[in-house]
Amino acid sequence: MLKLFKEIRKAGDATTGYPFEPLDMPAGFRGKPEHNEKLCIACGACAIACPANAITMDLNDDQSYVTWDISYGRCIFCGRCQEVCPLFAIELTTDFELAVLNKADLSESCAYEVARCAVCGKPYAAAKEVDYARRVLKSVGGPAAADVGKLDECLACRRREDARAFQAQARTEGGAR
Amino acid sequence: MIENDFPASLQWRPDPVALDASVAKAKEKLLQSIKRSVYVYRVDCGGCNGCEIEIFATITAAFDAERFGIKVVPSPRHADVLLYTGAMTRAMREPALRAYQAAPDPKIVISYGACGCTGGIFHDNYCVWGGTDPILPVDVYIPGCPPSPPATIYGFACALGLLDQKLHESRHVAPAGEQAPVAFPAIPYKVRTAFEREARRMSGYYYGKQIVDEFMMALAKDKTDALAAADRLVERETDTRKKAVFMDLKALLLSKVVQE
Amino acid sequence: MVKKKAPLRVGETHVQAVRDTFPGAVLDAAWQAEDQVTVTVPKDMLPDVVEFLYYGRGGWLPNMVANDERPINGNYALYYLLSMEEGDPGFVTVRAEVDPQSMEYPSVTPRVPACVWSEREAFDLFGLRAQGLPDERRLVLPDDWPADLYPLRKDSMDYRKRPAPVTDVENYSFLYEGRAEEVTEVPMGPLHITSDEPGHFRLFVEGEEIIDADYRLFYVHRGMEKVAESRLNYDAVTFLADRICGICGNAHSVAYAEAVEHAQGIEVPVRAQYIRAILLEVERLHSHLLNLGLVCHYCGFDTGFQHFFRVREKTMDLAVLLTGARKTYGLNLIGGVRRDILDAQKVATIKYVREIRNEVEALVDMLVSTANFESRTAGVGRLDPAVARDYSPVGPCVRGSGIARDVRFDHPFDGYKYLSGMKARSHDGCDVQSRTLVRVEEFMDSLTMIEQLLDGAPAGPVLTEDWRYTPHKFALGYTEAPRGEDMHWAQVGDNQKCYRWRAKAATYSNWPILRYMFRGNTVADAAIIVGSMDPCYSCTDRVTVVDVKKKTETVLTKDQLEGYCRRRTHSPLSGTGV
Repeated sequence: MLKLFKEIRKAGDATTGYPFEPLDMPAGFRGKPEHNEKLCIACGACAIACPANAITMDLNDDQSYVTWDISYGRCIFCGRCQEVCPLFAIELTTDFELAVLNKADLSESCAYEVARCAVCGKPYAAAKEVDYARRVLKSVGGPAAADVGKLDECLACRRREDARAFQAQARTEGGAR
Repeated sequence: MIENDFPASLQWRPDPVALDASVAKAKEKLLQSIKRSVYVYRVDCGGCNGCEIEIFATITAAFDAERFGIKVVPSPRHADVLLYTGAMTRAMREPALRAYQAAPDPKIVISYGACGCTGGIFHDNYCVWGGTDPILPVDVYIPGCPPSPPATIYGFACALGLLDQKLHESRHVAPAGEQAPVAFPAIPYKVRTAFEREARRMSGYYYGKQIVDEFMMALAKDKTDALAAADRLVERETDTRKKAVFMDLKALLLSKVVQE
Repeated sequence: MVKKKAPLRVGETHVQAVRDTFPGAVLDAAWQAEDQVTVTVPKDMLPDVVEFLYYGRGGWLPNMVANDERPINGNYALYYLLSMEEGDPGFVTVRAEVDPQSMEYPSVTPRVPACVWSEREAFDLFGLRAQGLPDERRLVLPDDWPADLYPLRKDSMDYRKRPAPVTDVENYSFLYEGRAEEVTEVPMGPLHITSDEPGHFRLFVEGEEIIDADYRLFYVHRGMEKVAESRLNYDAVTFLADRICGICGNAHSVAYAEAVEHAQGIEVPVRAQYIRAILLEVERLHSHLLNLGLVCHYCGFDTGFQHFFRVREKTMDLAVLLTGARKTYGLNLIGGVRRDILDAQKVATIKYVREIRNEVEALVDMLVSTANFESRTAGVGRLDPAVARDYSPVGPCVRGSGIARDVRFDHPFDGYKYLSGMKARSHDGCDVQSRTLVRVEEFMDSLTMIEQLLDGAPAGPVLTEDWRYTPHKFALGYTEAPRGEDMHWAQVGDNQKCYRWRAKAATYSNWPILRYMFRGNTVADAAIIVGSMDPCYSCTDRVTVVDVKKKTETVLTKDQLEGYCRRRTHSPLSGTGV
């Protein structure tokens, strides 16, 4: 019994001061993901990686905007979004105070203008992503930069064009032989 | 949202319990000013038990929710607050309803954890109905997977009107023509991404990013001799693990220099 | 005619023994990984071969996996996984194909009782019927699920299909295994208000003595295996596996990752193997402290309970330090881990480990010297080693009955391969006390292991992305979770998703023995017996007590039961009889 009292005395007051005083969360704690809308190019890598579908990307009705949306209510705080983001535009903070009275408050979104394919006119990516890719390709230089023009087309059109070019090349080569 | 994309023909949906107008009014009053201690009954509707254990941690010594008069009770008959955890599984629908009906009005319903709030990672599985709100009217949502004890305390403080809610819905539209900056323009793009990839492989996404940023910052600063900058970084570092990653990055840098 | 002697592969002696004993039975034998071999036999040979390997060759049965392989080979297949733990340790899987016309196979349960839950589950999810299975009740699916819809058949339904409930009442029938004239018709139907449990127990009693028990679990069946086959890519399933259990999720996550890695032949960097083992042990720390706290609680020693939880917070802080989260670590990827341990974290961890060791030593000393502890735990909840042998229970449950089964030592994996001077713990009291003492020793071992592993972790990467994805390969992944072995069987498909993933949690192997642990004890001991198995604790929230002589039924709440467990006076049953 004496042992017990000693232990109790040694332990002292073990209770945290929170919420009466702020709580220091250790660096690296995985709390609320913070989306940097300025950095984001709406490429959708996070939406594909998110195991819980907390992050989604959808086109609006008239297909003029693609909307990045996160539901903190569905988020499992795994940090996969942070891991896959090529621009480090999303980062898990140590913020844990997320409770809300209204479910809509769990949601944040940002809409990005869509780029349309120069050939078929269909929306194929966020304009911001196309712009970013263009600048990166230019900076890389070499054979990649030569393809900058193709950035204005959607994947389907680019494939079709490549196939046509390949065919034409095969024909000329065949003729030469 | 994916929730709305469900093929409706595939899914039967339960009718959520509707609130009687007078009860709703009484509840609103209660939510605004509970000036007394509250009794909580928790209902596990199909969680992984992570939430239950965090609730346990919240009511034991280190976080001691009883400081605020929050007490977990063994019967819904005594409860002011019903705390629903877990994605609502098919098997738990009836028991969850019984617990709800047993608690006296007005009662506050809290959805606890990602699964309780929306169904979480299980949101569209065949054997769940989603979170708590497809079945019951929910007053407070506490997100987290699981919510940590401080997050739980914060959630209760919000529910009881002691603290203000911090999170608010936000709907932004990015300005037309906004450009995303290319990081570390001084370092060739392909070299930078190779560094980033290598750092992640060596030390994971979290520390790897910190280490590679420090490395590239040093390189970007010294425009004349990148290798010397890397050497200085390695030299100065006392953390053996970080040092090893720096050295690894330096080797990569060397190979790139040789290539070009 | 003597062949040149090639070195024997792991499991080869077992395969040869099967060939010798049952000529012509082995249609095929193939190795999935160094220590894993699958032998295909005709389905009629299943009971013979499984029984032979189980009792004849020192095998234990973690579980059985059913699989719809019609798109691959036209048949369903069953995989009986056997962990060989006597000679030639490794895993031997007995596979048999079941044709889709008959949908039937001979039940192995009458020969090897450990198969009972898996064979019941195979019917729920695939509609495969085990002929001669003594217990054909529904196991996994809820009572309101349509009878002819089998969720895991490839052609049965979308993973999001939610059929309308076929009933609003719980109509599971509880079984009493006693003499015929004593069987009481157990009332069913709408239950009582106090339920909040994901499991429902029935105790069959005579007066205060429990003579049998039955339980309905799987209230939390969420359909994870199906969603892993459809919505998630195979590399995201580690995060889903983290959420199988909120206490030992990391063990599941590692087990899944290893199953895929074994199947695909992925070499995980050694540093990642060390980190995985460290995190598994951190998980054991907080889990065992939880259980020790609960033992205090059940013994009426609530001060101890609070103190164990106080110290437990340090293990949670340690988890945050190493992973960024308190519970769902989410650090596993196929090919390694997502977070390194830098020097700063290493130093801090060692400091935590020392503190925790000192504090827990003092607390355990306190617990063991409490007068109540001995009297409440010794001789209570006896698990007969013979029953244990039949049902293949795992973890501290089986190790408390003198059988030192522990995956970490039977089939060393990850960082455990590099440990020195550690062995599986066991006590042979077969009671609650033994199981508690096993946990105490394992807890202290875990601390030592963390120190050893931190010290020995080599330099190098923590992640590899260097492999070729081969469809339809399958293998086992295994870990020792705090409650016993987690066994995952995974097969990837041709679409970057799991074709079939079967996760077996530790407690899945332990539930079937609980009724034997109950028998002969009093109602006052029920809570501590369940507690000593360390299931997810909320499972005991309500117990229905049926007196087989008086034919009465009483519903006790968790609090009544726990209170009785602590006081052992004022039986909540008194006065309720006729």
